[in-house]
Amino acid sequence: MTDNDTQDVETDGGTGIVAPDDETPTWRERKERTEGLSRLTYEYFERARSEDESLRRESDYVERDVLAFPTWPHETVRNLALTSFFVGMIIFLSATLPPHIGDPANPNSTPAIILPDWYLYWSFGLLKLGPLNPELAILGGQKLMADRTYGVLANGIVVGAIAIVPFINKGSARRPVEQPFWAAVGVFGIGLAFTLSMLSVKNLMPMNVDLLFDLTFLVPPIMGIVTYAVLKTMREGYMYDLNRRYYRLRPPK
Amino acid sequence: MADEFIKGMALFCGAGLAWMVLAGWYRTPSFESPRQLIAAPPEPNTVFDAIGIFLNDVFFWTAIIGALTFWVLIPGLRQLRDSTSPA
Repeated sequence: MTDNDTQDVETDGGTGIVAPDDETPTWRERKERTEGLSRLTYEYFERARSEDESLRRESDYVERDVLAFPTWPHETVRNLALTSFFVGMIIFLSATLPPHIGDPANPNSTPAIILPDWYLYWSFGLLKLGPLNPELAILGGQKLMADRTYGVLANGIVVGAIAIVPFINKGSARRPVEQPFWAAVGVFGIGLAFTLSMLSVKNLMPMNVDLLFDLTFLVPPIMGIVTYAVLKTMREGYMYDLNRRYYRLRPPK
Repeated sequence: MADEFIKGMALFCGAGLAWMVLAGWYRTPSFESPRQLIAAPPEPNTVFDAIGIFLNDVFFWTAIIGALTFWVLIPGLRQLRDSTSPA
């Protein structure tokens, strides 16, 4: 609150756009953002940035490193909108498609096919990696460990790989397009979880089991490669530059 | 381009949701059967059932054609127009 005469930043009314200090957009760039969602996004980010800049200027606190939106009203209104949408969707679906409640389970009979809950199918599929268990010539064609031991070990490897993720420095990027490689790794993991789930219910899959086993390990790398290629291509877009400038204000590692 | 994407997305999600509900009513004999949402609809007994079964197909094709229109057709036409126009 030092002085009011130097603060001439429009925060409501008008366009609210103040050119950034370091990177003034050219007139050609401005013309490309004259309509629609790109215009709206541009104005929103620029207004937030200029508000932040004026806040810094008149503040006697330690300078903030991270550009952020205030909790009220920005975050609160957005969260209320999202909450309303999902609550409404739950009410709508439970009213229109009430779940069918079947007969109670009979504890005296074992079902023909036993499966875990669906979210554990990937782990169940890892127990069915028998064909990958190598037969060692040094042991006379015998396997080093039983197939079931091998499957449990595979679970340990996957869980271990996931546990390592928080300790890897992947940089300050927040969006897939900023880090195509790690996004591709993520898509590979999701794809592998899905195909392993399909493998775990191979009794119910209407296809050749050998082909299903091969596809389980061929499809996820292909998904990862496609993701990498698509994200690399998307980096050419205008929004990428806009957000890169925005995210550059994050503190360095 | 982003505008066209969200228009196609809105059509796809909205019409798809309506299709899913109507198909759950008319084309799902049991939620425990392997043929859900795609079983043959029954003969309509009332005019409301007839409307529902008819709208089921309407919403299905709205979701498919609507998304294709905004994601493929309109961008394609624009590309074509830009590439053929002089200068």
